[in-house]
Amino acid sequence: MSSDSKYILGVYDNEVTLLNAVKAVRKGGVKIHEVFTPFPVHGLDIALGYRMSRLPIAAFLFGLLGTSLALTMQIGMMTVDWPMIIGGKDYLPLPSFIPVTFELTVLLASFGMVGTFFVVSNLKPWGKPKIFDIRSTDDKHIMAIDLSKNKLSEADIKKSLKDSGASEVNEKVF
Amino acid sequence: MKENTKIYWKGIEQLKNDPEFVKNADKEFPEYLPISENENGNSRRDFLKLMGFGVAAVSLAACEAPIRKAIPYLNKPVDVDPSVANYYASTYINGSDYCSVVVKTREGRPIKIEGNKLSKFSGGGTTAQVEASVLSLYDKQRLQNPMKAGAAVTWDALDAEVKSKLGEIAAAGGQIKIVTHSIVSPSTKKAIAKFIAAYPSTQVITYDASSYSGALNANLSSFGIRALPSYNFNKSKTTVSFGADFLGTLLNPVAFSKQFAETRKLGPKKKEMSRLYSFESNLSLTGANADYRSPIRPSEVGLYIGNLYNLIAAKAGAPAISVAKVDDTVTLTKAANDLWASKGASIVVSGENDISVQTVVNAINNLLGNYGSTLSWDAPVMTKQGDDAMMDVFVTDLSQGLVSGVIFFNCNPVYDHPKGAVIGSSLSKAKFTLSTSDRVDETTSQVTYVAPDNHYLESWNDAEPAKGQYSLSQPAISNIFNTRQAQQSFLTWGNVSTSYFDFIKENWKETHFASQTEIGDFQTFWDQCLYNGVFEGDATSTMSAVEFSGDANAAATKIAGKYKKGTGLELVTYESIAIGAGEQANNPWLQEMPDPLSKVCWENYISMSQSTANELGIEMKEGFTTKVNVKAGIATVTLPVVVQPGQAAGTVGVALGYGRTKAGKVADGVGVNAFALLSSNSEGIVYSVAGVTIEPTGESYRIAQTQTHQTFMGRETVIQEATLAEYKADASAGRYKPMISSYSGPKKPNAVSLWKGHEYNNHHWGMVIDLNSCTGCAACSVACQVENNIPVVGKEEVVNRREMAWLRIDRYYSSQGNKEDKSMEGLSMLEKASENPEVTFQPMMCQQCNNAPCETVCPVAATTHSTEGLNQMTYNRCIGTRYCANNCPFKVRRFNWFKYHDNRQFPDNTSMNNELGKMVLNPDVVVRARGVMEKCSFCVQRIQTGKLNAKKQGRRPVDGEISTACATACPTEAIVFGDMKDSNSRISQLLRLSATEEGDTEVKEERAYNVLEEIGVKPNVWYFTKIRNKELTDNQA
Amino acid sequence: MQAVASVRKPLVTNGKTVHDVTEDICSRVEQKPTKTWMVAFTFALALLIVGGYAVYRTVWDGIGMWGLNKTVGWAWDITNFVWWVGIGHAGTLISAILLLFRQKWRMSINRAAEAMTIFAVICALMFPILHMGRPWLGMYWAIPLPNTFGSLWVNFNSPLLWDFFAISTYFSVSLVFWYIGLIPDFATIRDRATGPIAKAVYGALSFAWDGAAKTWSRYESVALILAGLATPLVLSVHTIVSFDFATSVIPGWHTTIFPPYFVAGAIFSGFAMVLTLLLVTRKVYKLEDYITIEHIELMNIVIIITGSIVGVAYITELFIAWYSGVEYEQYAFINRVSGPYWWAYASMMTCNVISPQLFWFKKIRTNLASTFVLSIVVNIGMWFERFVIIVTSIHRDYLPSSWAMFYPTRYDVGMYMFSFGFFFTAFLLFAKYFPVINIAEVKSIIISDSEKAKK
Repeated sequence: MSSDSKYILGVYDNEVTLLNAVKAVRKGGVKIHEVFTPFPVHGLDIALGYRMSRLPIAAFLFGLLGTSLALTMQIGMMTVDWPMIIGGKDYLPLPSFIPVTFELTVLLASFGMVGTFFVVSNLKPWGKPKIFDIRSTDDKHIMAIDLSKNKLSEADIKKSLKDSGASEVNEKVF
Repeated sequence: MKENTKIYWKGIEQLKNDPEFVKNADKEFPEYLPISENENGNSRRDFLKLMGFGVAAVSLAACEAPIRKAIPYLNKPVDVDPSVANYYASTYINGSDYCSVVVKTREGRPIKIEGNKLSKFSGGGTTAQVEASVLSLYDKQRLQNPMKAGAAVTWDALDAEVKSKLGEIAAAGGQIKIVTHSIVSPSTKKAIAKFIAAYPSTQVITYDASSYSGALNANLSSFGIRALPSYNFNKSKTTVSFGADFLGTLLNPVAFSKQFAETRKLGPKKKEMSRLYSFESNLSLTGANADYRSPIRPSEVGLYIGNLYNLIAAKAGAPAISVAKVDDTVTLTKAANDLWASKGASIVVSGENDISVQTVVNAINNLLGNYGSTLSWDAPVMTKQGDDAMMDVFVTDLSQGLVSGVIFFNCNPVYDHPKGAVIGSSLSKAKFTLSTSDRVDETTSQVTYVAPDNHYLESWNDAEPAKGQYSLSQPAISNIFNTRQAQQSFLTWGNVSTSYFDFIKENWKETHFASQTEIGDFQTFWDQCLYNGVFEGDATSTMSAVEFSGDANAAATKIAGKYKKGTGLELVTYESIAIGAGEQANNPWLQEMPDPLSKVCWENYISMSQSTANELGIEMKEGFTTKVNVKAGIATVTLPVVVQPGQAAGTVGVALGYGRTKAGKVADGVGVNAFALLSSNSEGIVYSVAGVTIEPTGESYRIAQTQTHQTFMGRETVIQEATLAEYKADASAGRYKPMISSYSGPKKPNAVSLWKGHEYNNHHWGMVIDLNSCTGCAACSVACQVENNIPVVGKEEVVNRREMAWLRIDRYYSSQGNKEDKSMEGLSMLEKASENPEVTFQPMMCQQCNNAPCETVCPVAATTHSTEGLNQMTYNRCIGTRYCANNCPFKVRRFNWFKYHDNRQFPDNTSMNNELGKMVLNPDVVVRARGVMEKCSFCVQRIQTGKLNAKKQGRRPVDGEISTACATACPTEAIVFGDMKDSNSRISQLLRLSATEEGDTEVKEERAYNVLEEIGVKPNVWYFTKIRNKELTDNQA
Repeated sequence: MQAVASVRKPLVTNGKTVHDVTEDICSRVEQKPTKTWMVAFTFALALLIVGGYAVYRTVWDGIGMWGLNKTVGWAWDITNFVWWVGIGHAGTLISAILLLFRQKWRMSINRAAEAMTIFAVICALMFPILHMGRPWLGMYWAIPLPNTFGSLWVNFNSPLLWDFFAISTYFSVSLVFWYIGLIPDFATIRDRATGPIAKAVYGALSFAWDGAAKTWSRYESVALILAGLATPLVLSVHTIVSFDFATSVIPGWHTTIFPPYFVAGAIFSGFAMVLTLLLVTRKVYKLEDYITIEHIELMNIVIIITGSIVGVAYITELFIAWYSGVEYEQYAFINRVSGPYWWAYASMMTCNVISPQLFWFKKIRTNLASTFVLSIVVNIGMWFERFVIIVTSIHRDYLPSSWAMFYPTRYDVGMYMFSFGFFFTAFLLFAKYFPVINIAEVKSIIISDSEKAKK
């Protein structure tokens, strides 16, 4: 993000007003930079016109990887590399492989997905978050609008925010 | 295993096919190895012969100049190859117990004793005590120097003093006594004769801890021979034993068990077996193997024998003798009928040390015409010569100070004679006292001079266990300590300069060499004998025509005179299978060997019947019992109680051989000395005490028992048994054949499997155990312990149920309950053993299951299956989850709960905790680390050695050359090991293996069964049903 | 969903505002530790140290320090293992399954429950490692690592190995699940934090969370899928633990009913343990408005159900043993009920089957004291269940010759104490330094409630 770009912040007290506001503001042709809420607000992503997350697909692919990895490992070790007679079973005792295969599938699926989530959402312990308003993790909902990305004038934007029911309208420069 | 396609070249030579390399490429080791290749085509016997020569030379050296330093193999001894075992024929003599043996040595260390198959007298088997004796060689408690008044002296100093002292005494005509157990060795007798020649006032006093004086004297009066006849139990169709434990401790149990087993083995061609009656007070090994057993009081033995005589006499038309009636006439009459039916092929034997009783026994055998057939005077047994009367006189003389010199020749009367206390207290009255004992024992600690004898594995000796049957012992190692063979000492003191070795050789030259004709040159003859270990003289003895001239009637009146009714509680002592009379008490292997019947180890105890226990308000559960004060005569001892099914009501039993106070660290303070309870008079030692009183101390006590549950809960899949009649009708009688019902009708458990299993193409090792010929003697379990470096864990850990035995012998009593009674009471009755139970012994070791449950569950694949059908345990891969042990249906896996080696917490484990004891360890078997699982491996090290030998000679292993330690030790050949792929092997023959159309082999022998067949683990160990020669009785469960 | 909520009593009482939530929960983290906390913590540490001695002796001298023997190769060790694993089921179950079912009442308890899960699983993991003869090797030999022997691998036929995979997977997934939930709350604490250390620490812990709508939407789908994955995982874990016994050949172990029966038992004991802990936390932290009687009652109902399932399983076992006609099977169960360990069976029955039935009475299931007592009783019962299954089955199996008794030593007890010591220590630390209630989620229900209030 380029340095010193100016943001207009609309502060909302509860998620119902927020949701309506988002709809209204966007109808008013204002491009919303991002909305910050202290807890997940249902329907917000739709209101903001976000696409369905593709993380499930990632999870599925990682799951597949887990399954094949598990089977390759087990068959490789027990059957190909050094077959041994164990309890009179075959050198390829497939039933015995099921539990481990299942576990590895789940393991890779979940870790893969969460990893992807961290990466795409840019979540990392050493990251420096951009806090537009400290209260956004307490009880306020913050709607941030990047002035430079909008054709409308600052006044208009502030107005439409006010109209949409923002308890206060602030500015912040990064 | 996996085909390896890569080629690794062994060295640059192979890479460029260097001719030198190509020449040796096919050899296993390209360069020369010190392992003797020259035995190609030769049999092991020739190999032994070579060793025979070799050792003669080496041992000569050993005897003259004892080597006490280890010699590095830089210049290799001619007959010692690293990692190749040498075998030397020798003779085990301990007290007056005899066994002809083969000693296995590795790098010059004896590590294993095995039976000498060439011996006619002991017949190739061993006993637990013989097996364990190798550890006694490495006993740190042995004396390391000659001693005078408790201080070490040199031999020269000692000899000088001894000679002068003895000289003085002899000059003054003072009495010199040599007190000894029966001397089996002719050369020793000669040596002592030389000694006597030097000191004429010397007299030899012979006694035996377990005395045969009564029988000997009886034979003297009946036949004019003071010896015991040679028993041929193999010829006996009916045997009646009165408290004679001939399978456990009597005279020559190794051979007797073998002979007895011969008459018990059954097969498609042999459907007859002998019948054994036992009348006894304690449940002995013989009683446990008897078809009919009636518990009787010791005071009544005479009466029973008298009554038996009358019953036989009635049939024989001989005059009856006057004797009181007895209670159990039913069994007695039955016995009499059977005896009479098998006239001339029967034996009546009694363990009573009483001349009159033994006379009547002789009379009965005479009436039955057993002499000349089952009892023979051709080769009378010479191992027992004790004379209680003489000993009794000696004790009185000693106490009156009439004896000026006493030499105790390898005996310990202060401990193992009823009058030991008297002897001990009055030894000070003698001017000169000396002992040749190998340790400072109860007697030795009270004498002035000690001239410690060698261990038998360090000694030259010969023996004549039975007339005309000779054997040699040769040193398998040079003296470990500064000891000297007692015979050598006698020669030295008797001013004979020759070494005992030359002395024996000379002796043999004169007698045996002269007596035979086939070998002309003495050296050859000598080496032949040395190699064989035994020499059979001409058996045509003059004594064949002996006539019975005993007076049964007089004997009977004496018996009647002695007998008084209502003698209250009677105490009967017995020699335990493990400890015997206590000579080897300091041997931890024997101390930890559970008693075959009570399964108690590490102490002796008062055994009593359930009824007696109830009267005293004593109950025993899971090894928890109470201690009682036993008042016998003047002495009172405190012992724990063991409730022993089969113990005669009104009697209690206690084992001899325990309660040593100066035997060494292991034995001291273990149990109580029962000899002290006994009495001895001019007529002999009495091994039972009447009028014993017992009061519970109320002190509860936990006894070390390896098996606490008595019965097999009527589980036919564990024990399958039938009577002879049933067996004759149907060979598969008593077999339990579970079927699993499947969609295609009922199937054999082994036929139902998710997997197709694996083919064993080369070998398939298996084992057959005949429950009928297993007498439970436990030689196998000790042999296993020796062979496989199994640790001794000590009493505490046995109490914690953590003994390490790979091979245990399960002992099951018949129970009072009935399988069919499904009620709770029925179940609790099933757990109770009958008052006088039928006993079954079942050796139980790893069953080497083809579908092993233990293998499946090991997370790290530390236990897997070999391509020869062996269930292998990889110790250094094991992480010790114990899952395998839990999942073992036979519970044969053993876990190393602690570090048992080099650990001060386990001082009893002498074979792993002191540098001398470690010499006994088998270098072919790893000593297991703490925290790993271990179990029977079918002696895989022996299998590998056997295969290697065969490979070196470019042939298949021959059946019999590969055998496990247990199978080799078994005197009755109840355990047979072999390759089930080899159709000519004994095991294949026994199982009558034959190929089915599906291509897999099936077992045709009807008696053969797998334990727990229905769980489909497919064991490689087969058991043969137990067949009892008795009419159907109701107490079978 | 809201409709459902609307007929229910509010899940957060006293009309708390969103800000109150932040205050109530964060303040705990920011304040100095209370006296009660200090006392409890010292006690927990003491337990840990005393138990530590038992661990030391066991590792130094050998497993022989315990009461095990040639016949009974597992007793307290694996009993404790299964017991802890069982307890470790509630947390993830509550979060995952209840999230899938959109059960909002979970929200105020899942955080603590999950924490408990994590610690319980760690306690459980201690035993398979410490019960090994050679833990120093076993720790990594059970993992299929390449090694100098080239072809030396583990045995994938072994249920123990399945266990190893199952538990470690379960542990790591639960950990992730738990942590994902924590991130927004850490952010909240971070933004309130004053001290530089606190700022830095919570800053790092919060992974630079900014609460953007985009992230929230991703966050939600991640949570949902994790839940979807975790649910079968939870069920699989105890199923596989039960395989340790079910796939063996030992009568009393070799039972096909085990998987469902173990899972039910696990949920049963898990919920009980959650209750025990929550009731204490609730009291100490005065969270009555967040963890309401409503919650407790709902959990008690789960306990009745699972308890009854377990009860049915016990009866079924007995029936099947009789019905099978296999004498070993029959004896194994007769011996359980009437053998030397009858008392263990009896206490199992009373604690697990009879006592939970008291919750049929509303009075009892809505009463804190009785709930607390019963929750402990249930866990005692569940410990005995595992003891009964493990010990009474192997102490008398096929060959009567090897039948033996098991007597625990003080080291067996010490090991158990050690695990408790660890558990409490860890939980107290969590309760002090982590938000014990999921702030973000609770906020969301506050709103929906206030919504309802408006209408």
